[in-house]
Amino acid sequence: MNKKIKILAISSPGGHWIQLNKICNPMEQQFDVVYASPSAQYKSSTQSPSGKKIYAITDASADSKLNLIPVTLQILMILIRERPNTIITTGAAPGVMAVLLGKFLPIKTIWIDSIANVKRLSRSGRMVKKHANLVITQWEDLSDDKTILYRGSVL
Amino acid sequence: MIFVAVGTQFSFDRLIKAMDEWARDNNEEVIAQIAGGEYTPQYAKWERFLEGEQYNHYIKEASVFVSHAGMGNIISARNNNTPIIVMNRQYELGEHRNNHQADGIKWMAELSGVYAAPTQEILYSLLNDTQALQVANSIDTKKLDRLTQFLGDYIKTGKTA
Repeated sequence: MNKKIKILAISSPGGHWIQLNKICNPMEQQFDVVYASPSAQYKSSTQSPSGKKIYAITDASADSKLNLIPVTLQILMILIRERPNTIITTGAAPGVMAVLLGKFLPIKTIWIDSIANVKRLSRSGRMVKKHANLVITQWEDLSDDKTILYRGSVL
Repeated sequence: MIFVAVGTQFSFDRLIKAMDEWARDNNEEVIAQIAGGEYTPQYAKWERFLEGEQYNHYIKEASVFVSHAGMGNIISARNNNTPIIVMNRQYELGEHRNNHQADGIKWMAELSGVYAAPTQEILYSLLNDTQALQVANSIDTKKLDRLTQFLGDYIKTGKTA
């Protein structure tokens, strides 16, 4: 019996989603990765080789706070159904909700701050800093090597 | 063909208008994805949003990709060997919720195949000599490999060292 560890990879669409795929597609060799993201009107996606599982969730952002309610319930359902060992997110709003849910369930959570945040951690990254098990920045200068780690980047 | 895209979250009329006027004055097809923009191009072909497949097709076929300073488009352009010119949204002009794209284009422009156009003048001068624009060098995955290796080890062992 050598069952693969399951990971939920979740993010908002666009650049966050592309970075998430860059990071998690190669991890599919070792882990059972399921994905969740709003099905945007476009996705300039990085395709993974074969049939990956993607849950469509409601789009929510700092500009659409009401949508955080359905998206939180949807993430909860996914977590109950999939029972992942670890959640990986590149942000933004759906990632914050996933980290907070993960904290209470509890499921290990990894926040990878978007490479677009060069000068300081993203606003959502700062929100989850104390709640995620692991917080990664993609910029060496933003790491304090204790609570915010730099261990490489997507580019 | 030159492909222009501004993402899905915000409009970017300043860039779309600049590219529409460029299309008026130049004999080259321009296709633009304009999101919720108020300015609708007269000379460029345009769509508000595009399907993923069509979107990727345009990135692949374009001689140059002109974009807002978004990470997703930069990664896609590099993967498709298309040079990309990025213009940053400005917080001061109400184009984004903060000014991270202004910081962003400084390091983005250091990536091979990526050109920064903070102003319309620089955008036009880059477009006037597209032959000079290079595509990304063979993409170095060292930093990405390091990150995925680290995450894999952390998930399995819980250790960060």
